[in-house]
Amino acid sequence: MNRHAWREVKRQLRESGAAGAVAVLLVMVAGAWGGVFWSVHLWVDRELLARGRATTVVAVARGPAQAASLQQALAARFPAVGVTALAPRAVQEELARWFPELATVLLTLDEKNFPPVLQADVPPAEERAVAAWLRARPEATLVESSRAWQARLESTVSRILVAGFALAASLLVGCAVVVLLVVRLLVLAHADEIAIMRLIGAHEGDIRRPYLISGSLLGVAGGVLGAGALEGLRVALQGTIPGLTVATWLLAALPVAGAATAAAGAAMGLASLPREP
Amino acid sequence: MITFENITKSYNGRPALRGITTRVERGEFVYLTGPSGAGKSTFLRLLYRAELPDSGLIVVNGADLAQLRRRDVAEFRRRLGVVFQDFKLLRRRTVAENVTFVLSLLNFPEREQQRRAYLVLKQMGLQHRMHAFPDELSGGEQQRVAIARALVLQPDLILADEPSGNLDPERSNELLDLLKTINYQGTTVVVATHDRGLIEAHPARTLFLDRGSVVRDAWVTAA
Repeated sequence: MNRHAWREVKRQLRESGAAGAVAVLLVMVAGAWGGVFWSVHLWVDRELLARGRATTVVAVARGPAQAASLQQALAARFPAVGVTALAPRAVQEELARWFPELATVLLTLDEKNFPPVLQADVPPAEERAVAAWLRARPEATLVESSRAWQARLESTVSRILVAGFALAASLLVGCAVVVLLVVRLLVLAHADEIAIMRLIGAHEGDIRRPYLISGSLLGVAGGVLGAGALEGLRVALQGTIPGLTVATWLLAALPVAGAATAAAGAAMGLASLPREP
Repeated sequence: MITFENITKSYNGRPALRGITTRVERGEFVYLTGPSGAGKSTFLRLLYRAELPDSGLIVVNGADLAQLRRRDVAEFRRRLGVVFQDFKLLRRRTVAENVTFVLSLLNFPEREQQRRAYLVLKQMGLQHRMHAFPDELSGGEQQRVAIARALVLQPDLILADEPSGNLDPERSNELLDLLKTINYQGTTVVVATHDRGLIEAHPARTLFLDRGSVVRDAWVTAA
């Protein structure tokens, strides 16, 4: 890139005006939006789904004797599984803690009304086998696994993510289209200069490069602003969502994605420029 | 310097040049003349490779133009200077910037750009208008800026397509004097013009074109 090309880039950025600003804005919004979704996805995965951590399987036993026999059998069959037995009184107190507004009523009930419960912390790989084994045991009346609601949450989060990323992708496509139009308008406005450049021996690269670079710079600017907005949001939400982080690579990727999208738009815009015979 | 061998060119089936064969030697001054539609501009466009012939061979400065790759076309044109009837100046740039445009494109140092622009504009008598914009100049001055731009890279060949078309007779004569001076300094010059009076006032070898063919190749002497 020589001095002439940089002067051209500066001039084109100036001349891109409001349309250029719209392109920057679109990349910024798309970047920040996509970044928010990705960061929230990681947060949900880490904080709520806790993939890789143990899954909890809860079995309600018919009575204290059955609970004890079930605990023994479970420990023998699955040695890696940690089993905790909750006596009826413990279940009663646990429920009272979960529903404080009903605590008074719950705690006045006879503890015999509450079943003993086995709570097993199961490695995710063994969750299906443990739940199926418990369901087949006559001592257990009800078996529930946290995996089920985790799967439901995962599915919901995935759907929201797909919708969010689709919107971000649409905004990026919009940005590429705006840059395409900006470059096409600039090429039209500079048609005489381009013809003269060709006549005096400018290479195709000399002619096209400044347009590609100015288009890409619009994308980079949008990406940098998007990264700034994303980091700003993270700081603002720090109190509300503790543990919410924005990956450094994500902040670095936004200007790159912006540049790539805008460069693609600029390249499509330059397709209208006729080549030498 | 220039060899045309059996060149044909047509646009949408309409022939513009029909089997032209001619040569121009290094250091020659040659006019192309003929009525409108005779093929003068097509002849020049083929010379600076804005077009390719349908058939035949064009060799300029030892280069077969049909064989040039896109990248080589740019290098080839840097050794040419082209001047047009409508000047083709960059309206939003000053006279000096129009002249240095090509130099900046080739990454000449700033000081060298200014030095060359000054020298070539001084040769054209325009050194005092370096900072003016093209629209502030007369037609003759604009054409001299276009010539300055064509000369700034010290080309081997100058091609001028109706360079006096927008000038009054006095300015046209000045322009031809200027092109003759450039030719005396060793540059080959090809001028396309339909102005017979101008040719007679500045005699030189003349190719007469009519309906795409060279009908006469003669030295026109002063009337």
